Amino acid sequence: MSAHISIPMYQRAVPQRYRLTGKLCKSCGKINFPPKAVCKYCLQGASFEDVRLSGRGAVYSYTVIAGGGAPPEFETEARCKGSYPVLIVELEEGPRVITQMVNPPEEGIAIGMSVQAVFRKIYEEEGVIRYGFKFSPA
Amino acid sequence: MENVAIIGAGQTKYGDFPGMGVKELFAEAYLEMLQSVDRGLEQQRIGAAYIGSLSAGSGFQLGQLAPLLMGHVGLPHVNAVRIENACASGGYALYNAACAVASGKFDMVLAAGVEKMRDVSSNKGRYWLGVSGDTEYERLAGSTFAGIYALMASRYMHEYGLKREHLSMVAAKNHCHAVANPKAQFRKEITIEQAMQGVPVAHPFNVWDCSPTSDGAAVVLLCNAKIAKEFTNKPVYLKGFGAASDYLAIHDRDSMTRLLATRRAATEAYKQAGVGPEDINFAEVHDCFTIAEILAYGDLGFAEEGLAQYLLEEGFTRADGKLPVNASGGLKAKGHPIGATGCGMASEVFKQLRDEAQEPSRQIKNARYALSHNVGGSGGTAAVFIYQRGDA
Ligand SMILES: [Zn+2]
Repeated sequence: MSAHISIPMYQRAVPQRYRLTGKLCKSCGKINFPPKAVCKYCLQGASFEDVRLSGRGAVYSYTVIAGGGAPPEFETEARCKGSYPVLIVELEEGPRVITQMVNPPEEGIAIGMSVQAVFRKIYEEEGVIRYGFKFSPA
Repeated sequence: MENVAIIGAGQTKYGDFPGMGVKELFAEAYLEMLQSVDRGLEQQRIGAAYIGSLSAGSGFQLGQLAPLLMGHVGLPHVNAVRIENACASGGYALYNAACAVASGKFDMVLAAGVEKMRDVSSNKGRYWLGVSGDTEYERLAGSTFAGIYALMASRYMHEYGLKREHLSMVAAKNHCHAVANPKAQFRKEITIEQAMQGVPVAHPFNVWDCSPTSDGAAVVLLCNAKIAKEFTNKPVYLKGFGAASDYLAIHDRDSMTRLLATRRAATEAYKQAGVGPEDINFAEVHDCFTIAEILAYGDLGFAEEGLAQYLLEEGFTRADGKLPVNASGGLKAKGHPIGATGCGMASEVFKQLRDEAQEPSRQIKNARYALSHNVGGSGGTAAVFIYQRGDA
C-alpha cells in the first residue's frame, strides 16, 4: 500500500544503484545523477553519454535516523542497529547523492569528511534482497 | 484580473477524533464557515470547490473525494476537484480557488482541505508519511520526512552557526502560542530546556522538533471583491497569491539552507499585493519541523539567510513581538492535518484580521497585512498568500 518501489522499478535503476552510472550532458559537459531527460544544469541538453562515477566524495550534510522513526522498509535494520546515519554526499564529479553510511567513525560524523561508495544490501522486500550503494569513511 | 475577497472561513479543532471521518470533519468546518458569513449565504451561489487532501482518508477514497464531500453538505452539483501537493494541498486549493475567482469565471469559490490521519496504526501511517518526498532515492536511502529536514538543519548549523537551542526556541514559542487557541491540538506550554530533551527522531531533531499527526478540516469561502460587501462589512482581501515548485529531491537542489519554491512564491505574492516583508504585521508559516520556521524567515524576507535565528533570540516573532509568527501555535502545536493546513492558516488569518480571534488574549491588534505560507513536503512546492483587512 502507498509508496512502494516494485521489483521491476528497482531493476530499471540498476546502473545507478550498482555502478553509480551518471549521464554526461553533451551540451554542457556536466554529469547528471540520477539521470534526467533534460540536463538539470543547462536545462537544454537531452543527449547524454554514460560515465561511471568514482564513488569518491565528501559529506555535505548528515542525520542519524532513530530506530522508531525509520521507513517500513528499514524497520528491521533500525531495530537491530538502534539507529543509522544518512548522508548527503557531494561526489568529486559534482552531483550530490543521498545514502546510508556504513562504519561511521566513533568520534562522530563531520561535514566535509571524505567518504567512498561501497556495494551493500539495502533492504529486503517480497523475499528479494535489494542491493545498492552506501558510503563508508574513505 | 478580478480582485479576490474572503467572506467566510471555518475549521475544526485539530487533534485526534476517533468519532469523526473525513466527511464529518469536512462538514463541521463547512458549517462553521457558513455561520461566519455575516449576512448569510445562499449556498447555491458557490460555483466551484477545490479541496486539498493528501491521503484521501488514508486511502479509503483515493478517487473522486471532492464530489463525495460536497454531496455530504448539500452541494452535489458544484464543480468540485481534489487538489494534491502533499502538505501544501490546502494552500494549492486556496491558490486555485483564488485564480478561479480572479479569472472572472466564477464569482464564488470554495477552498478547503481535510485530512484524517489518526485512524491508521503508526506503522501504516509511516507508509503514508513517506509518500511526499522522492521515493526512489530519498526513501530508499532509509531517510524519513523528518530526516530530510534534519539534513537541512545540519547543513544550516554548519554554515551559519545555528545552535540546537534555536530549534527549541521555535518549539517553545509555538507551544506557548497554542495555549490560548481553542482550535489547537496541544495547548500546553513547554520550556526550551524540555524541548531540547525529547526522544531522538533524526539528529539533530527530537520529538519536540516535529509537528504531530492530526485529524482536521478547514474551509474558506472566496468571492469576487466587487460583491463582498453584500455578505459582510468585514471582508478580508486576498491581495497576493503565489505558488512555485522546486526539484522534489533534496540532492537535486543547489542549496539546503533555503527553499527556492518559497522564495519564488513569496516574490510573486508580494509583487501582486504591492507590499514587501516590512509591511507584514503577522504571519502563519509552515513549521512542519522547527528548522522549517527558521528557513521561512529567510525565504519570506523577514531576515537575511543565516541570520534568522537572531529573530528568535530577540523575541521578534513571539505573539507580543514586532512580527508575531504562528500565533496560532503553528503546525508544531496547533497541529498538522496535512491537506487542511493551508486553509486552516487562511481561516486563522481571516479571524485575526476581523478581530475575532475568540480568546481576547490571542487577538493581534492593529494588523493591516498578514501572510500565510504553506510548503509541500520538503519544499517541492510552496504557496504564499498576502491578506489585507477590509473594514479599514
Ligand atoms: Zn547540460
